[in-house]
Amino acid sequence: MTTIILLSIAGGFFSWSLLKDRSKTKESVKIARGLFLSTALQVAGVLALVSLFLALIPPELIRKVMGSANETASIIWGSVIGTITIIPAFIAFPLSKSLVQSGAALTAIAAFLTTLTMVGFATFPIEKGYFGTKFAILRNLFSFLAAISIALLMGVML
Amino acid sequence: MSAILGFFKKNKLIAVALVAYLVVLVLSPETFRKALQQNGAFLWEMLQILPPIMVISALISVWVPNETIMKGFGNSSGLKGKVLSVLIGAFSAGPIYAAFPVAKTLFDKGASVGNVVIILSAWAVVKVPMYLVETSFLGARFANTRYLLTIPFILAMGVILQRLVKREDLPLSEVDREIQRIEQQLPGRHCGACGCTDCHAFAVAVREGKMRMEECKVLGKSKAG
Repeated sequence: MTTIILLSIAGGFFSWSLLKDRSKTKESVKIARGLFLSTALQVAGVLALVSLFLALIPPELIRKVMGSANETASIIWGSVIGTITIIPAFIAFPLSKSLVQSGAALTAIAAFLTTLTMVGFATFPIEKGYFGTKFAILRNLFSFLAAISIALLMGVML
Repeated sequence: MSAILGFFKKNKLIAVALVAYLVVLVLSPETFRKALQQNGAFLWEMLQILPPIMVISALISVWVPNETIMKGFGNSSGLKGKVLSVLIGAFSAGPIYAAFPVAKTLFDKGASVGNVVIILSAWAVVKVPMYLVETSFLGARFANTRYLLTIPFILAMGVILQRLVKREDLPLSEVDREIQRIEQQLPGRHCGACGCTDCHAFAVAVREGKMRMEECKVLGKSKAG
């Protein structure tokens, strides 16, 4: 679904560009190729490492540490696991649901889901390449703090 | 051999991953197989998402004028800029690594640091299709509360990082680097004899092909003499 939307936007924009100005389109192809080559290898390396991590740390283990009776500990575990991994949504949401059913705190789930998407330990090298070290460190740090705050506030509201 | 070494030096992550996979293959072939399978799924997603994202970023950088981006997302874009940034994220597709090239393109064209942060965060968290999945798995109350809390935090992060990180802290774009290279060759007298306001403006014009190096009066003279 995502791919179809993306491809049609890119395709539409590209054909419009081709019709309007060939040389500008040529320049854009050059830029796109450069962007792709410089990023793809890095992303591939990150994804390879994350896959290995996920294979080494099975969902059962995540379930165990996040479902502990100590809510603070499970919030911390939730945010740490969310920070260091990239888990696709189709795994993360069912996993979260089963965590809730087996008694995990909702706040821990919230911390897990928010850090999972917003904080990227794995994607840090890529972010650094695009935006520099200072930006990448501060953005991830503040996102981490925001995720924990959101989780704690959810604990009050739910 | 040296070419291979050079490749790994440039792509340290791939080198690290390769070594790690070899170790795991020896220790636990079962884990290796599982990792490889997951990796295949990830790579397939990447190959579907990155090329169109790169094409869109490149087309934006070629077609959309800097002034438009500056007006929409620049330092003085205010609340409107912030709302636009959240919307870009919300209607985007793909994981956060797909957001980097798009946000960088907008930054190079004049988007503020704060709005770049908002775009990246919203891209990561505030997503319409994801919201629907979250609602179905964890319930509307959970999803609504999380979204309601997340959006103000994202806006606040934009404001804070705007203060903490300056434009100069971010790496130069390819275009800016070229302009800088040209500018370094100029005398830097900002005499305006070429018709540009200063040497920077002249360098920009040279890069765009609107002027030639020889049109710099000071440089031309010193070369002739």
